[in-house]
Amino acid sequence: MTRKDVTGIFLLVSFALVTAFFYHSFLSPGMALQGQWDPDQGVVKAVPTRDADSSMEILNPDVVRQMVQKKEWIILDVRPGEIYDQGHLPHAVSFPLMAFDEALPQFLTSTQRSSDILVYCASIECTDSHTVAGRLKNLGYTSVKVFSGGFRQWQEKGYEIEKNED
Amino acid sequence: MLVFIIKLVLGITFIYASWHKIEDPAGFARIIYGYGIFPGASINLMAMTLPFIELVAGFSLIMGVYPRSALLIINALLAGFILVIGFNLLRGHQFDCGCFSIPSQGHAASNIFLLVRDVFLLGFGMVAWRFIRAS
Repeated sequence: MTRKDVTGIFLLVSFALVTAFFYHSFLSPGMALQGQWDPDQGVVKAVPTRDADSSMEILNPDVVRQMVQKKEWIILDVRPGEIYDQGHLPHAVSFPLMAFDEALPQFLTSTQRSSDILVYCASIECTDSHTVAGRLKNLGYTSVKVFSGGFRQWQEKGYEIEKNED
Repeated sequence: MLVFIIKLVLGITFIYASWHKIEDPAGFARIIYGYGIFPGASINLMAMTLPFIELVAGFSLIMGVYPRSALLIINALLAGFILVIGFNLLRGHQFDCGCFSIPSQGHAASNIFLLVRDVFLLGFGMVAWRFIRAS
């Protein structure tokens, strides 16, 4: 390796870093320098979670279980329908993110804006529940929560699971 | 001729691989997290910068701008990928490589294939290194 090789590495890497800086600062902003990658703090994601999103999250699965048992909350499972069929939280309604627009009109007529809504998806690594919860909040729903641990944590806890037999 | 083909293959591979990651840095960050190796504080920074290093190295290898330096970067990255994938395979950690695309769910079909592919690419890279003269 020559001196020129080392200079070249320095120049190429510097150019790449400057390009990355300009790209993420001006052309496509949206990524924070620090993400939320600690599962103990809620759903892991690239953007910081200490925003409005995080206040919706319920981290404690026991609290979610109490909510489920009370049957006062509308529980939305936003995973794909076929995965919902294989097992879901008791009383949960299938409301796949992929089919959000199709399912929305009926949901709007069958619920009130003040209805208590709990949304969950696959796991602590899944942000679909946040996406749906965010959309519902934008539509005017005032009581929307997200179960951070999702179905995986529910299953790991050994809590009751409902299945749709075909 | 052989060196030219190797440079083309490696360059195009790296440019192509960087593209999806640049388009969806949050998805790439999630994949880096999935490796279960890197500290949380470094994940976003890696997701934002690594694809540009791949892109610049790929282009400069093909265009002949500091080709030896570009090749060194590419070989170092490949060696890094091999270490990381190999380490996770050895400890049986399920992960999604995210090398070329960013799937919404599930894992890459075969991480062993990815490891073998990277070993081959590194082999090509080392062959090319022997033949690209220092000027």
